[in-house]
Amino acid sequence: MKKLLKHMSPLAPDDSGACGVLYEMGGITVICDAGGCAGNVCGFDEPRWHTKKSALFSAGLRDMDAILGRDDLLVHKLSLICGQIDAPFTAIVGTPVPAVIATDFHALERMSERKTGLPCLTLETDGTRRYDYGEALAYDTLFRRFAAEQYPVKPGSLGVIGVTPLNTGFITAEPLLRSLSGKGYSEITCFGMDSGLEAVIRASECESLLVIAPSGLKAAQYLQKNFGTPFSVGYPCLPAETVRAASALRGKRVLIIHQQFAANALREHLTDCEADCAAWFKQEKQYALPGDFRIAEEETLVQAAERYDVIIADAVMRRIVPRFAGEWIDFPHYAVSGCARESGSLS
Amino acid sequence: MHNAYSITAAELAARGLGDIPDELSSAKHMIYSSPATLDYNSPGAKGFGVKRAGLVIPESVMLLVAPGCCGRNTALLNELGYSERFFYLLLDDTDIVTGRYLNKIPQACAEIAEESEKKPSAIVICVTCVDALLGTDMERICRSCEDASGIPSIPAYMYALTREKRLPPMALVRKSVYSLLKPQKRISNECALLGYFSALDDACELYELLHSAGIRKIHEIGRCRSFAEYEQISRANFSIVLNAEARYAAQDMQKTLGIPFVEMTRLFRIEKIRTQYRLLGQAIGAELDDSAYYEKAEKRISDFRQTYGSLRFAVGECLNADSFELALSLIEYGHQVAEIYGTIGERNFVFVKRIAERSPDTRIFSNLEPSMLNYRRGCEIDAVIGNDAMYYHPDLPGIGFQEETQPFGYQGVLMLLDGLDSALSESRRKENA
Repeated sequence: MKKLLKHMSPLAPDDSGACGVLYEMGGITVICDAGGCAGNVCGFDEPRWHTKKSALFSAGLRDMDAILGRDDLLVHKLSLICGQIDAPFTAIVGTPVPAVIATDFHALERMSERKTGLPCLTLETDGTRRYDYGEALAYDTLFRRFAAEQYPVKPGSLGVIGVTPLNTGFITAEPLLRSLSGKGYSEITCFGMDSGLEAVIRASECESLLVIAPSGLKAAQYLQKNFGTPFSVGYPCLPAETVRAASALRGKRVLIIHQQFAANALREHLTDCEADCAAWFKQEKQYALPGDFRIAEEETLVQAAERYDVIIADAVMRRIVPRFAGEWIDFPHYAVSGCARESGSLS
Repeated sequence: MHNAYSITAAELAARGLGDIPDELSSAKHMIYSSPATLDYNSPGAKGFGVKRAGLVIPESVMLLVAPGCCGRNTALLNELGYSERFFYLLLDDTDIVTGRYLNKIPQACAEIAEESEKKPSAIVICVTCVDALLGTDMERICRSCEDASGIPSIPAYMYALTREKRLPPMALVRKSVYSLLKPQKRISNECALLGYFSALDDACELYELLHSAGIRKIHEIGRCRSFAEYEQISRANFSIVLNAEARYAAQDMQKTLGIPFVEMTRLFRIEKIRTQYRLLGQAIGAELDDSAYYEKAEKRISDFRQTYGSLRFAVGECLNADSFELALSLIEYGHQVAEIYGTIGERNFVFVKRIAERSPDTRIFSNLEPSMLNYRRGCEIDAVIGNDAMYYHPDLPGIGFQEETQPFGYQGVLMLLDGLDSALSESRRKENA
């Protein structure tokens, strides 16, 4: 049956993706929920919650707030927080509750800006889509709103988009910076990881951009269009163990499952193998090869597994294909299993 | 950034229950999902939230019918061995607006029944805020599921939106987990303990006291290892409600199974524990001699005080106790309570008034208030109790006091002091080393 998960827990949802992008931006982020969604974000999908403070709150909606559409109460509560916490902007992230009652996010944005005097980003996620949708929405909204001015370009500077725990399993930018060191960059900024809003505002200073997940693509296209900043895609932070095991394969039919750019990057390490990449998340056609496919449900993977000798994917997915007799190489993905990576496990 | 908001017990008591500051009222501000209190805002994530509680019925499985975001953190429960017992029917954006998914739930149950190696005892259908707003008739859905799968189906309402209602989700799920019991001949020397999803500590004197009153079998859902054992609960001649959130379940059992109930409360003041046992004895027509347990607890309190002197405590709310009653107990034992991180309500305001009389300067914080983002210790504290208090003061000796085994009665007092004793002696040993 479609949409029935029998072996896996749900994947990271869109509201988690949006919150992950905004986490280190210094704004006040409000998850428009009753409490459970914020708990899922803070307690599971955001591993930085225990190491880096962020002004991330739940709106604490109650049934009558939703039934009566008390947006004014939400805005009032937001203004109270703005009196307590200095922040350059506010953001409201959607969940199933506003989706059911058809909250007018544009009105909410205008009301909030009028009441608090701060820019307000409203991100219309609803908890039914996957994290990459929320990330893409948040990156795009953030850069469009704040990366408006053209600054002089700093030669050798690189901006990296897509560095979130959900994409990489990292909670600091350090592993990625380490992997890019010695490659001739004078300065590297991982937007939203160990960097805040100021880096977004000055994004046009970057001489080039690296997009490490499809969720960052739209924002990169915006920066290219507006400031002429060229971008490339790649994933320079593959886990060492996975790369080692994959590189040793010869003459196998291999299926790699991860977010598209990570899977593509790993495919480059294979020799003399037929490899297809698959993702539970969005795949951009221009970066896909024939044979690559999207996994819509557990059954897709059950059927596909029969065609391969080796599957390289997060170990949690193994439960879906208990009869798979081939080799399984672990390729952790936080958005799937919620397992963070040790910073030392880079290839 | 403002400092974390707090108010003294004296100021709060003077304002009265009708004038609680907005900062202490979660309906008046945004909710800070503090790492200290994630189990409040993420009931499915830790301890017994609705999802785990629903599965307390032995051999049952759960179908979570919700958008993906509601079930995401359920992966945490896999570590506790629940991975084979959860199924998810994911909703998309059209589903949550039109409610069209309701017709698919029976089919999903049938598929679960078909694919399960061993037939589940029940399918617990967990629904979320979406169904709270759509007004889904879950009783009807469950009947259809039962018809389609041949397995009893019951609802579990994970309605975060109704958390502060008269019947919050944790009260409703208690009713659900006992709703599969069938009327049968009651046995005069059997009783049931209701209120917790895990069992009381084995050494709790309540068991011995009930045995001394002629009770031979004490049923607890947390001790049931099979569905057959669970079914025996309805043989109980009476129930003892140990947690007010089980009152609704007890009322329902009284109505449908004819099992009357008496209520007790988890307390840490030994005089009050003694009074409760006297009242319990009167209610069941037996004299309960608790003097040996009372004296043991009294001596432990005195020894602890002698060993460590008058300690200054911080008491949180992520623990197996009412923060304010526990704080009052510590004050009555001869200690001081510098800070309490808790939620004030009608139920525990009486303790605030008593604390105000004995310790007017005790400061009260709300874990959920946004300014707690900036909490810093501003006074001397020797030891802490509660997982949230331990988060705020990682450098101080303390105990989480939130284990699965439930403390109750005099044994609860002993568990508390034994835990503190271990933490404090370990801390002193490290200091001396």
